[in-house]
Amino acid sequence: MPRAIRGVLIECDPSIKSIIVNIDSVNHDFIIEDLDEERVVVKENMVQLLKQKLEDRLKENLPPVDESGSE
Amino acid sequence: MSNNPSLHLAEYLERLPGTTFKKLYQQPSTAFAIFRRMLPHLAKTFVMRMLFMPHPMTLNDLDVWVKPEAKRKKDQSLSILRGLHIVQISAPSKEKPQEIQLMSNFKRSLRLALTGGGNHNSFGVPSSLLIPPEIDLPFLDRYARKKWEDVLHFVVSSVGYKSVGDGSGPNKGVKELLIAGRLVDRRPNGGLGITQAGFTFLLQEANAQVWTLLLLWLDVLGNNKGSGLDPVDMLSFLFMLASLELGRAYDTNALTEERRNMLPSLVDFGLIYIPQHKRSMFFPTRLATTLTSGGNSLRTISEGVTAATQSAQTSQQSLGPLGGGGGEQQAGSVVIETNYRLYAYTQSALQIAVLALFAKLNMRFPDMVAGRLSRASIRQAINFGITADQIISYLAAHAHEQMHRTAALTNKPVLPPTVVDQIRLWQLENERMKTTSGFLFRDFTDDKDYLDTARFSEEIGVLVWRNDHARMFFANKHEQIKDFLKTRKRAE
Repeated sequence: MPRAIRGVLIECDPSIKSIIVNIDSVNHDFIIEDLDEERVVVKENMVQLLKQKLEDRLKENLPPVDESGSE
Repeated sequence: MSNNPSLHLAEYLERLPGTTFKKLYQQPSTAFAIFRRMLPHLAKTFVMRMLFMPHPMTLNDLDVWVKPEAKRKKDQSLSILRGLHIVQISAPSKEKPQEIQLMSNFKRSLRLALTGGGNHNSFGVPSSLLIPPEIDLPFLDRYARKKWEDVLHFVVSSVGYKSVGDGSGPNKGVKELLIAGRLVDRRPNGGLGITQAGFTFLLQEANAQVWTLLLLWLDVLGNNKGSGLDPVDMLSFLFMLASLELGRAYDTNALTEERRNMLPSLVDFGLIYIPQHKRSMFFPTRLATTLTSGGNSLRTISEGVTAATQSAQTSQQSLGPLGGGGGEQQAGSVVIETNYRLYAYTQSALQIAVLALFAKLNMRFPDMVAGRLSRASIRQAINFGITADQIISYLAAHAHEQMHRTAALTNKPVLPPTVVDQIRLWQLENERMKTTSGFLFRDFTDDKDYLDTARFSEEIGVLVWRNDHARMFFANKHEQIKDFLKTRKRAE
């Protein structure tokens, strides 16, 4: 009998996907199913947290943005 | 299931059980309203053709009505009709072909609505009293617009830009409702702030806004058992209101007591007007009578921005039945400089709210606001679901006359190319993943099982992704697939 699992499909670049897999590897509490290079299914209640963690990761690797300039 | 109140009439109806629909369809006005508002044209055609058929017809006969290339459309129509409990289709079996027929309640009510007859009073009872002469169409329109603008201004003013001369504001009950529906929410500092849902709400056309508010109201009352109001009855009362005639007085005494108890809230929303000295009559306003007109469903926030852009491009003021809420959209008011600074010569609360979606506004003058586009502000807009192209075309459509003049003189594009490119780059940087919530289907026993189910979900338009090799697919809805699997199992 087939099963239906509630979740959120995430489509992204392979590079982003590898970061997601890496975030998940700590506790294995995000990913339900790793579909292919550019897609994973993630638990619905974890999407926000995942987005935030992803932002944090990316921030570490981004040059500081120049937001100065007089208002 | 999620506890978020549904802001979409179709979603709300989809969640109701079949028994509720049976009750709803007892009223001819409700059956008619659902027919009018909720069905795509092809589904309407099916219903009209089947309405006076004495016997069920086979699905094969129905296939003959539809060109083979429109099969997908047909399947979608049928799936909507089933979802709204308008048709029933017999289970597939070996002995008999599948048959389709209209649900008897719906059929009877729609026939009554179209051909007349019966004493159901479901289209309202006109009041026999004399109508006060001062109550005419312009009066009712003014009244409804005032009430509705109060609501919109309350939502907008929570952005932090106080609208000019906000004296009264909406009734306390309405405010509570907006907070309960999380269109605005209480911030830690005690003030009120607009939410993403609030922005979506703001950018909808008036008709959709009214529905959003009404559905919130039904939800709140439905959760509150002590209110003594039955959401099903309320919904069918709303559909009845929608069938009334603008400018006519209707008799309050012909209503049941529960419905009479709803009237004060409807007055607060501006859907009806009750004269001070004649409490036994009520007038539906344009907000009420247009509830079921137009097939226009709710807009998402990004469609809202597109609509605002288009209305400026065509410089037509077609903003719903009440000519928009938050003030007129004026074309040609925004100046944007190469250093990302932005100035808008406007007083329209709505336009300021739209600008605040993607720009950081930091100064407000009586007839102008000034701000800046920044990485953070564009990122916020993208989180709201707005795309870079929408922002750019909004800016282009609203560009100030001076921008056009300079551009023509120097033979350059209207918007500074650096800004346009940077907005696009910011979007690329931010748009890292696309999310779709739904269901992953897996563990199929054999290939045929998988292929049939995947094909079915593709036909009804819910399939998002499939991998035939792994026998898995992802769909954004599961109810009908579940039914499909069940009937398959039974047929085996």
